[in-house]
Amino acid sequence: LRFPLSPPQRPLHASAVLRRISDERQKEPGAASSQFDSGPGPLPEQESRGPHPSYTGQGGQESEDFESEEQLQHRILTAALEFVPEHGWTAEAIAEGAKTLGLSSAAAGMFHSDGSELILHFVSQCNTKLSEMLEQEQKLVQLGEAEKKPMDQFLRDAVEARLRMLIPYIEKWPQALSILLLPHNIPSSLNLLTSMIDDIWHYAGDQSTDFNWYTRRAVLTGVYNTTELVMLQDSSPDFEDTWRFLENRVADVMNMGSTANQVQSTGEALVQGLMGAAVTVS
Amino acid sequence: VYQVFESVAKKYDVMNDSMTLGIHRVWKDILVHKMNPSPGTLLLDVAGGTGDIAFRFINYVRAARERQLQQKLRHHQNLSWQEISESYQEDKSNSLGDSQVVVCDINKEMLKVGKQKAQHLGYSEGLSWVLGNAEELPFDDDKFDVYTIAFGIRNVTRIDLALQEAYRVLKPGGRFLCLEFSQVNNPLLSRLYDLYSFQVIPVLGEVIAGDWKSYQYLVESIRRFPPQEEFKAMIEDAGFFKVDYQNLNFGIVAIHSGFKL
Repeated sequence: LRFPLSPPQRPLHASAVLRRISDERQKEPGAASSQFDSGPGPLPEQESRGPHPSYTGQGGQESEDFESEEQLQHRILTAALEFVPEHGWTAEAIAEGAKTLGLSSAAAGMFHSDGSELILHFVSQCNTKLSEMLEQEQKLVQLGEAEKKPMDQFLRDAVEARLRMLIPYIEKWPQALSILLLPHNIPSSLNLLTSMIDDIWHYAGDQSTDFNWYTRRAVLTGVYNTTELVMLQDSSPDFEDTWRFLENRVADVMNMGSTANQVQSTGEALVQGLMGAAVTVS
Repeated sequence: VYQVFESVAKKYDVMNDSMTLGIHRVWKDILVHKMNPSPGTLLLDVAGGTGDIAFRFINYVRAARERQLQQKLRHHQNLSWQEISESYQEDKSNSLGDSQVVVCDINKEMLKVGKQKAQHLGYSEGLSWVLGNAEELPFDDDKFDVYTIAFGIRNVTRIDLALQEAYRVLKPGGRFLCLEFSQVNNPLLSRLYDLYSFQVIPVLGEVIAGDWKSYQYLVESIRRFPPQEEFKAMIEDAGFFKVDYQNLNFGIVAIHSGFKL
């Protein structure tokens, strides 16, 4: 339930935790306030109120000195991830996360009781990590410090890297998938999935703007979803069966490009992706 | 206000049932469900005289604690018998998981009725009864995880002071929950509701409790209470964040929620 942030005229001095966070950071040992790496552009003349703890450099819709409610929520969710292997993707995990930040466990009431936000936050975090990784790789290639990978290798590595991020949470991941498929979560989860796939294709060097773009997107989505499902049931050492499966699927993708049944493939890939999702739920 | 509740105390629960046709129980259940307290939560229930919210809280936390213990047992499959029996002992004596509820009310009679009810229903652990004024709570700062006030805040003379006190005694991250009669937004329902309130309730008051005036006062205080959005703004003024409300029964009752962030 997204609630619009309060108008800027609200008296922020009344905030207890949001400002306190910046005070706590002020007490960190051995750090002069001007050297705080708490984000771009901390203003030195605001030392008395503590440096700006935002991660994005923006203070949201409130004053620049305090983090916004949303940022605090992100911090709680990040802290909660540590408790997921024990409690699952639930309000309990969020409550434990809040406690590690010095907040009451009642703060978990800010979120939906089924843990949706926690999962979406995690997925979004993974996607961001993946993008950064791919960005780094691209830089290295541009600087000539690394070889440009062949397309199939690139896709395999990207999907593998992204799926490996699930490994610490793999036991509770089926639960997460089923929650992501709930009607009220589908728009967000689908959005995250498609933008992740887009990212991979973007860094793979895909410049096409014709209908092939849809095909590629759908195909890779199918590959990702099916590999994810295989991974959930894989008990081989370091998931080698999964990566072998992935290799075969990516090889199929490469072959598919050269056949004439583009449109049919799109349909097949979409169905494959959806079937994968349906199987997980049932 | 004090005298109204002095006379009302003994028949309070009966009147609630008859006035709201028993729906008030559902409203209170929804409130505790929304709170979703985990074991170890410290709750302050203000104006909670006869203990309805407190008892529900205890039930909820007890059930949550049982589930927690069962989960733990499942994880303990590969411990030695010695270790299992040790952890079993320490958990068994802690059936509420250290959760506690403090019921605070300005009225001695209401607290008395509450204590009797608790004894009668078998609630002993994790429950305390304190005499106090919502505008000036006898507690230290940053103490409680959750502050609830169910059908009490409309009887407070200075609502802003009560909200400030609520803010003060809550821990950082703590939650403020208020269950209260509010404005009905549906015009048809509004007319029926008015009819019921002014014609039926005082009559019930006279018949069941022998007190027309008190119940007339109650109905009027409901009408005087600020509507949902206005009350939300008041809560924000006290310093709470993420303030939101949920209408129950088309606005006859609303649950307002805010966090001390």
